[in-house]
Amino acid sequence: MNGASPNPSAAALQARFGGAIVGASVSCGDTIVVVARERAHEILRWLKETPGEAYDYLVDVTAVEYRDRERPLEVVYQLWSLPRRVFLRLKVELPKQEPLAVDSVVDLWRGADWLEREVYDMFGIAFRGHPDLRRILMWDGYAEGHPLRKDFPLRGRFSRAEQVRQALTKTPEAHHSVEELAVAEAFQQLSNDARQKLERAGGPGGA
Amino acid sequence: MDVKPGAVAAGGDAAAGLISSPNWITSRLDDLVNWSRANSLWPMPFFPACCAIEFMATAASRYDISRFGMERLGYTPRQADVLICAGRVPFKLAPMLRRIWDQMPQPKWCISVGACASSGGIFDTYAMVQGIDAIIPVDVYIPGCPPRPEGILYGIMLLQKKIKGESILDPTLRVEQLPDERGMFLRPAAVDELSEPFGNSVHQTRSA
Amino acid sequence: MGEKRTLELELATPGVDAEGRPIRVPLGVAEGRRAAAPDLRSELMLINIGPQHPATHGVLRLVVELDGEVVSRVIPHIGYLHSGFEKLGEYRHYNQIIPLTDRTDYLAAPSNNVALALAAEKLMGITITPRCTVLRVIACEMSRIMSHLVWAGTTAIDLGAFTVFLWAWQPREGIYDLLEEWCGARLTTSLTRVGGMMADVPEGWTARLRTWLQGLPKTLDEVDTMLARNGIWLGRTQDIGVVSAEEAVNRSLSGPMLRASGVAYDVRKDRPYLGYETYDFEVPIGEHGDVYDRYLVRMEEMRQSVKILHQALDRLPEGPVNAEDPRVILPPKHRAMSDMEAMIYHFKQVMEGVSAPVGEAYMAVESPKGELGNYFVSDGTAKPVRWRIRPPSFINLQALPFMAQGHLLSDLIAINASVDIVMGEIDR
Ligand code: SF4
Repeated sequence: MNGASPNPSAAALQARFGGAIVGASVSCGDTIVVVARERAHEILRWLKETPGEAYDYLVDVTAVEYRDRERPLEVVYQLWSLPRRVFLRLKVELPKQEPLAVDSVVDLWRGADWLEREVYDMFGIAFRGHPDLRRILMWDGYAEGHPLRKDFPLRGRFSRAEQVRQALTKTPEAHHSVEELAVAEAFQQLSNDARQKLERAGGPGGA
Repeated sequence: MDVKPGAVAAGGDAAAGLISSPNWITSRLDDLVNWSRANSLWPMPFFPACCAIEFMATAASRYDISRFGMERLGYTPRQADVLICAGRVPFKLAPMLRRIWDQMPQPKWCISVGACASSGGIFDTYAMVQGIDAIIPVDVYIPGCPPRPEGILYGIMLLQKKIKGESILDPTLRVEQLPDERGMFLRPAAVDELSEPFGNSVHQTRSA
Repeated sequence: MGEKRTLELELATPGVDAEGRPIRVPLGVAEGRRAAAPDLRSELMLINIGPQHPATHGVLRLVVELDGEVVSRVIPHIGYLHSGFEKLGEYRHYNQIIPLTDRTDYLAAPSNNVALALAAEKLMGITITPRCTVLRVIACEMSRIMSHLVWAGTTAIDLGAFTVFLWAWQPREGIYDLLEEWCGARLTTSLTRVGGMMADVPEGWTARLRTWLQGLPKTLDEVDTMLARNGIWLGRTQDIGVVSAEEAVNRSLSGPMLRASGVAYDVRKDRPYLGYETYDFEVPIGEHGDVYDRYLVRMEEMRQSVKILHQALDRLPEGPVNAEDPRVILPPKHRAMSDMEAMIYHFKQVMEGVSAPVGEAYMAVESPKGELGNYFVSDGTAKPVRWRIRPPSFINLQALPFMAQGHLLSDLIAINASVDIVMGEIDR
């Protein structure tokens, strides 16, 4: 299984970036290249824009946390080259002692936008330079943490009653869209009771 | 409508033997009201997930829900009598479900379609309400994942049966449930108890 | 098709070209309205659509900023159906995950089952039998048809035509019957197992599938008759929600969304699995990247699926459906009851699950919505460390704000419908 020959891009990366390549391996036929966090963005740009590589299609961005608590978290980029029909997996390791952050690739692929937001929501990994890094699946102000982390229990941290209470006492408007509804700018022109409602909901008036 | 001798007598074949003139009708008001309510239910579909697809099948060509006077799927809670919750309800969706229920005028009923809406189903996780009865009162639970269209139709018939047994004079039936000071509709202990896992899910999710 | 219908058609149709494809009516209308809008500009209006709204295909919520009737900004909000699939998967054996996949893209459960089984097999290095391979192709193509049928029906409802929904649901009920016969369930099929299928197809099933296949093209033609040259449909779909090829690639779109923009990327052709390279079929490509092309692509994909299904039925070999691998495949019941060794295998599989070697595998299939990937990371135990679904409609929906900008509010509904979203898959 691990006998498959690695994707030549791994060697090309090694030659071009040397010290920034932490390791390369093959698992189930797919080549995995682990790169240094600080240069990940540069490397991804190179992979996308170099004609001989041409990884122009970002398949997925996700993250992995291992059951072994010592192991670092990994951010995983799955890349595909449409013209060359080659698959490559790039990984960035994020040790748990350091702040969990990596450069965003939204400037390279617009498609990374929600994918990175999801990783942020589920793992708490920040993407530097992301235009709009908010929770996406859970709501803003979700108090229990980042669900896909291994220290997060399957049923959540709170009792079911508390979860129901928190869910019900959130007014639907308060969930996230108050700023986007552009009410922030128009706040002063709102009617009194609308303003009070927003304040109660922790909207822009409260902040 | 089953015609009970003495209770309902209407002009026409069914009651031909009981009355002499087709121009009048005697009935208990309850029966008349319930009969009309039960046979012209206007559903408010609340369709988050997979069970909704089976509900769509129920509404489509083969199973044809209009036979039960229910084909008017309203999509506006203000003109509906029965909330049909078909699918899983995560916590993020819970306030919307409650709000829709609050917007529906009395008399109103609720059918919970499928394992998820009734109990959380296989999703005993951080994100899911373990049965919508923690949020709104439910009249009929339809089991299945998803229930077959026949099951859904049976649930609708059960609700019709339940409605026919109601009395318009019963003051407790149409009381709006108000939130307590914590913003909940049930005691926390009751919610915890309703949300306890049961059956297989205990084994499958606790063994890791 | 009857004579009468053709006659009506001619009245409504702008005409067809030599290959029988409808000629596009030039639509200056949308342009004109867009240009006229600034005169009326006074104040932007904000409206909220969803999460409980019939045209959002589930519990999607759209916050729309309107300039008159022109959309200036759309912000989709998702997560209203987030059920914790990926977390739940980390607590389950590989085979126990299969029922979860039914419930992600619930319009096309069999192809999700196949995708998951393929990923687990890639991780464990299992080779499946020839019969199983062909049966899986059949399952995948059936789910493509059933998903696209619902898509056509619900999209037509969104644009004001109810009949297509009823017509499209008829063959779908036929698929339900076939699936029910095969695995006992209509919707949540759990058709595959790691290393095989949950069951072989019953006696006479293939003949019934053939009969059903014969009826399908007629339905597709009927739907085309209703829509493909219908003046209203053309007006509401052509030049609406255009995405260029570069944009589509940059936004990681996949499936019919990508192909309608003219990018010929189909996992079945580019990274073949299940022997798709040996089937004779075409991948339809659009040229305008608008809602209408997505419609044409999906309709043509159904016809191609019919073609693949016929080929698969022709070549369906005899033989076992499950791999000869006692690690992953349960021994037959009678042996588990009488043979010590078989009983031990049975016991180990049921109690401990099948452990996968340390490693990771990403396996993509072409689901009806696009590239559906399953990514497993294993630490050598029977439960994955990470199970990730690459959800095609999640990524496709991302492009909605981009596509809808500058269109009318009613076009937003058409564009949203054209993405073919399933909230179960988007929110997981
Ligand atoms: S009960 Fe089953 S089919 Fe229904 S919503 Fe839940 S998972 Fe889906």
